[in-house]
Parts: sequence; C-alpha cells; structure tokens
Amino acid sequence: MARRYDSRTTIFSPEGRLYQIEYAMEAISHAGTVLGVLAKDGVVLAAEKKVTGKLLDLSSTKEGGYGGSGEKIYLLNDNVIGGVAGLTADANSLVNYARTAAQRHLLTYNEDIPVELLAQRLCNLKQGYTQFGGLRPFGVSLLYAGYDPHYQFQLYHSDPSGNYSGWKATCIGANNGTAQSLLKQEYKDDIEVKDAIGLVLRTMSKTMDSTTLGSEKLEFAVLTLDETTKRPKAKIYKPSEIDALLASEGLMKKDEDTEMKAA
Amino acid sequence: MSIMELNGGSVIAMVGKDCVAIASDLRLGNQALGLSSNFQRIFPVTDRIYVGLPGLGTDVHTLWEKFRFRVNMYTIKEEREIEPETFAHLVSSTLYEHRFGPYFIEPVIAGLAKTPSGGVKPFIAATDLIGCLNFAKDFVVAGTASSKLFGMAEGLWEPDLEPEDLFETISQALMNAVDRDAYSGWGCVVHVITKDKIVTRTLKGRMD
Amino acid sequence: MNSLAQRFSTTSPLAHFRKIQRLADEDEDVSDAAWGSQAGFGSLTKGVPTFTVPNLPDPTAFLRLHTDDHADPNCRIKIQHGTTTLAFRFQGGVIVAVDSRATAGSYVASGTVKKVIEINPYLLGTMAGGAADCQYWETYLGIHCRLHELRNRERISVSAASKYLSNLVYGYKGMGLSMGTMICGWDKTGPTIFYVDSDGTRLKGDLFSVGSGSTFAYGVLDQGYRWDLTDEEAQELGRRSIYAAGHRDAFSGNTCNLYHVKEDGWRFIGNFDISKMHYEGPGDVPGAPGGGYGYALRVEGKSSANPPVAEAAA
Repeated sequence: MARRYDSRTTIFSPEGRLYQIEYAMEAISHAGTVLGVLAKDGVVLAAEKKVTGKLLDLSSTKEGGYGGSGEKIYLLNDNVIGGVAGLTADANSLVNYARTAAQRHLLTYNEDIPVELLAQRLCNLKQGYTQFGGLRPFGVSLLYAGYDPHYQFQLYHSDPSGNYSGWKATCIGANNGTAQSLLKQEYKDDIEVKDAIGLVLRTMSKTMDSTTLGSEKLEFAVLTLDETTKRPKAKIYKPSEIDALLASEGLMKKDEDTEMKAA
Repeated sequence: MSIMELNGGSVIAMVGKDCVAIASDLRLGNQALGLSSNFQRIFPVTDRIYVGLPGLGTDVHTLWEKFRFRVNMYTIKEEREIEPETFAHLVSSTLYEHRFGPYFIEPVIAGLAKTPSGGVKPFIAATDLIGCLNFAKDFVVAGTASSKLFGMAEGLWEPDLEPEDLFETISQALMNAVDRDAYSGWGCVVHVITKDKIVTRTLKGRMD
Repeated sequence: MNSLAQRFSTTSPLAHFRKIQRLADEDEDVSDAAWGSQAGFGSLTKGVPTFTVPNLPDPTAFLRLHTDDHADPNCRIKIQHGTTTLAFRFQGGVIVAVDSRATAGSYVASGTVKKVIEINPYLLGTMAGGAADCQYWETYLGIHCRLHELRNRERISVSAASKYLSNLVYGYKGMGLSMGTMICGWDKTGPTIFYVDSDGTRLKGDLFSVGSGSTFAYGVLDQGYRWDLTDEEAQELGRRSIYAAGHRDAFSGNTCNLYHVKEDGWRFIGNFDISKMHYEGPGDVPGAPGGGYGYALRVEGKSSANPPVAEAAA
C-alpha cells in the first residue's frame, strides 16, 4: 500500500503522511548522536562520530583551524555552532547554506544573525524539498547552539520536514529517546556551563553504543560569552582537549580500562 | 563633476623592513563642502592585513561589507586566515565582477604574508576601480591626492625602513600631499603593521 | 574668404569690439612717446588698454568655448576660482577679510595669495574669480583713481571708482572676464562698499561675501553682524567668518588676511593661519575669545557625548 505514496516527497498517503520525510527521519535516528544542553551562561554540544578507524587521516584537524574533526560539529557563524545528524553529504550542503545565510544577514544588517532566524532560513529550505516535486528531502537534523543579544543563549533543533523548535536540552540521532529521558531527569533550570559539560558528557557516555569514550569517538563544543568583549565565543574542542576534558570528568573509557575492571 | 572626486579622500601604503604601513586622510565631503573629519576608509581584514578604500563614500562601506562577507566565508571554510596576496586577488575579482558598472573605489591593500620559514614578508598592492592589480615593491597610492602622493612618496621613500621611520615617512608623505589637494585632508590615520603588533595613530592635520 | 571679409566688415563681432575700444579711446589723445617706459601698462596711454584678440570671425565665441567653465572642463584655460572674500560696513568703518588659497581644479596651487588689492591708501579691492583679471583691472583702476585725484584735486569717491570699474568690465562682457570684487573705502559719505562683478553688476551695500566659501562666511557674518560693533568685535567677526569658510570649503583656506578701513585710510590688521585658528585660535589679538575656533574644541565638555570632566568623573 505504502509503495504507491512513498516514492515522491510531494504526495500525501491516504492517511495523510509524507513517507519520504518519515524515511529521512528514520535514517537520522540511526545516525551518530548529537546532544545539546542550554545553560545559564552558555550552550554545550557533543556528538558521536561514526566514521572512525586507524587509517582515517585526521592530521588536518589537529593543527590550525578552529578545532573539531569536521564530521558532526561545525561553526556556522561567530555566534552559532551547528551539530548535524544524518547524511553527511547533505549536511555539508546545509552547513554551507547556513554560513552563507549568516554572512548575508551580516552584510544586510551589520549584525550577527539571530539564532532563531538562522534556524528559520534552513527550515525554509528544507520545507521546500517536502513540497516541490522531483527532489528528495535533506536527510539531516541539526542542533543550533547560538547566542544573540535579544534572547541570549539558545538551542534549536530542526528536522527534514522543516519543523524547528527551541530546547533546554535535546538530542538527535541514535538512542535519542534514552538520552532525552536522561536529560529530563537531570536537567535543572539554572544549570551553569561547567555543570552542563558534565551532564552532556555523562549522558553521551551512557547512550553511546561503543565501549570506548575518547576523542576518536566524540566531538565537543561550547558557546559562551567572552567576558571582555561581550561577544559570543565559540569553542570547538580539539581531539587532545576532548581527551583532557574526559579525563578531568573521570569519564575516559578506554578498552584497557574495561579489561582491567573485568580482571 | 567626477564621481571618483565627489567625496574626496586618499590612501597610501608603503613597505618597510619586515613591516608595512597604510595611511589615509579622514575627510568626507560633498564636492567642495567638507562634511566629516572622522571618516574611516581603512579597514582591518585580518590581524595582519588592512585594506584602504578611497573613492565614492557609499561604495566604501558597501565594498568593505562585501569583502568582509567573502573573507569570512573563506576563513570559515578554509579554517585559516586569508593571506594578503589571496586577498588581493579576491579584491580584484570582486571588482571585475562589476566591469560594466563598477564600484567607484580604488582599493589599496597592505599586509604581512607568512613565509614557509615562519617569518613575515611585507606585501602591498593596489587596483583600479575594475580590479587591475598592481603589486608594487615600494609604495602604492590612490584617491584624489594620488598625483601629489606619488610625488611625495617618490621623494621620501627609501628601502628597509624600520617601523618608526616608516611611520614618519608615510605620515610626512600623506600630510604634505593632502595639503596640496582640495578634496583630501582634515586629519589622517596611520597604521603600521609589524610581526607582533599593529600601531594605529590618528594625526592632527590642517583643517582647511 | 568669408572670414577675411568679416574682418573688415563694420557689422562683424570683431568690428563691434573695435568700436568699443575706439569709443573708450576718445577722451585721451596723448602719443605713446610722451610716456617713456610703459611697464606693461603701455596700452593704457590711450585710456583703455588694447589687447590682442584671437584672429577669428567671432573672437567672443572662441573665448567662451575655451575659457568658460561650464562649456567643457577639459579644454578650458584654468583660472583661479575657489575663494572666500568678505567685507562689511559698520560704525567703525569697513572690515575686509579674505582667504589666501588658489586652486587649479583640485590642486592647491598656492596658499599665500594676496586677495586684497591695495588700490590706494583709501581704497581696497577684493579678488575672487580670475586672479589675473582682478589683479590687472584693479591695478588699472588704481591708475585712474590717481588720475582722477590729479585732475580734480580731490580723492575719487568709492561710488565713482566702482562705477569706473563696472563700466570697464561691461565693455568686455562675453569675452570671459571673471571677477567678483568688492571695492571698499572711506570717502566724503563715510565708509562705503560696492560689489562689482564681471557680468556688470554693481551693488551698494553694508555686507557682502563673494566666492565659493561665501555661504559659510555669510552664516557666521549674518548672525554676528550689528552696526554698532566695536572695532575689535568687527575684526573678530571678519576673521571668524573667513575661518568658517576656510574650514568647510575645500577651495578656500590656508590663511586669512584682515584689513580695517577707517577715516584715515586702510590698515592691515594681520595674517592668520586658518588651521592654527582651528586648534589654537588667532593668538593674542584684540577681540579674540581665547581658544580654538574648531567645533570639537568649542563643545569640549559641553555636550552629552563629551561631558564636562566633573560630570564624567561622577
């Protein structure tokens, strides 16, 4: 039955569903987890990397650049960090679109783009692919961790249908249900960044399938406000910094460690 | 009435020993009428590159914002700061996009390029309003006082000036040139870019 | 062939011009030899100087084509244009103040031009427009004022002198003379100013300003002008007005030359650097308020953007 209505994005099924969108969402729920927590004085973002391996060349991410290994977490603008879950190729295209949209806003208004507006820009694009024929939707969900002077720190989520919503803490990708219920239990309204970092990392370590937790599996970023300039400061952690952070939080899980505990 | 001379203003850049300097006057006028004595037409592109945009006032801002857009996109995608020579080509190609309806600006670029050995190499360049690049080894000038600036720079510039001497040379060249130009003047600003710092000084000039 | 015919025709423009010269020549009939050295004014021996004129059927049109500003900015003969000059009459005499900048296009050709022409000890003329035209014709006017004195055993009135000049330039109307001048002096009727320009306009008045910076000068002049100004106040007003013009107008500036005409003739008050007036004021001179004229300096500590020191500390 479904076969008749799921090959095109623009055709409703008799039950009023757009199957292609649902399939895209399904694809995302198998992707690497991306988790965000909004704190009083910043936003924290973490992501699970799926593409790993000894032979993967990460040299370009270790020196220079703004940090990160460029699979899941991207700097979208001075004031927004994006975390993506889904098809990486689609994500690259959306990241480029977001960066251009942010720069276009800066060109027109001489101010950083408000976070919600950036989310809206991407959602308008994504929505277009649910309505105009012949194309498949973007297989990507995003988390936007951002700051603007009007609404301060914000965390948004957008999905392939073009829906978006603001969150205090949320999760996309694999095991997002588990992560969200964990966040719901532990989140406190006046949480600060330093506690949010712990919360994010603990939740990640519990939800991730893998037995190890280290920089080869994790991307991590924090958006805070620079005390002196009063401008948003986006920090995407380098692999070594992630390992140091995990160690200080006591969450470093290495294969040897598990072996030792078993022994 | 020339559009290039409507608002007035001039920029000069000079090479020194492991340093560059870029300087401009601060006047914005409407033909003969002076309107502002604090019109900044030099902008920081990165920590080591400045661009001066003499010409039509409205285009100064429009073009600077366009360059900022493109430099930001370059930086965020490349994950590194743009090099002066790359920026010069960005300026050139941006201007040539408007070959048949140009921005009325003749940009001047000054910066320090990174060398493979970790040192710095002074870089200056200027283009005309449709992006013809001129890489000079000594100095470049543009704006309503350009002919006078050529004369001053030709007379005062010498190779391998230390930052403080370069500051003195570029300041004297600019201040004396703009005093002979009706459309430039009303104070000056000078930036000297060295490996570890940028010194910016605002100079009092003749106010007539 | 046609042009040759025109040169001898009595109705061609050239013939018309020659007729003007002939008419002006009528009352003077002394031979050249009686004058010895002629010092550039040799042609004056016939009363009105003669000039070489382009050898064309219509020299007026030719001159207009090559010297008129509006026709074509590229091929015109560049003549000095930007200027601010002013003169005003008050209880204590006449104040004459001018700037000293000469420009050719946007090039500042000189910053030390004397734009007040000292016609004689009782008469001053100001210079705006073509520098050469003003200099030549006002010097020439001086000669005739002296001749008037010799002939009539009394000084020429400002009215008569200015009328002589205006009639004279009217004779050259359309040939590209460019002058806007104020003839200032003290005669039997008291302090007097006449505005005379190359169109032939001649106006009597209390207060004039001429040149590209005149609007700026008028702004200061109009708000500060009263008949019962003291000498010091009047001098300061003239100086301050030229400063305003020199500051705002790109084609005026460098320095201000200030003159005061009283019953016993004119007196040069001084030369004031306009940029120095901006930052420091005119120096220790009568009427100076102390401090610079510059806006930023005058409002220092008086605006919300730049509050007084005590307020800023609080």
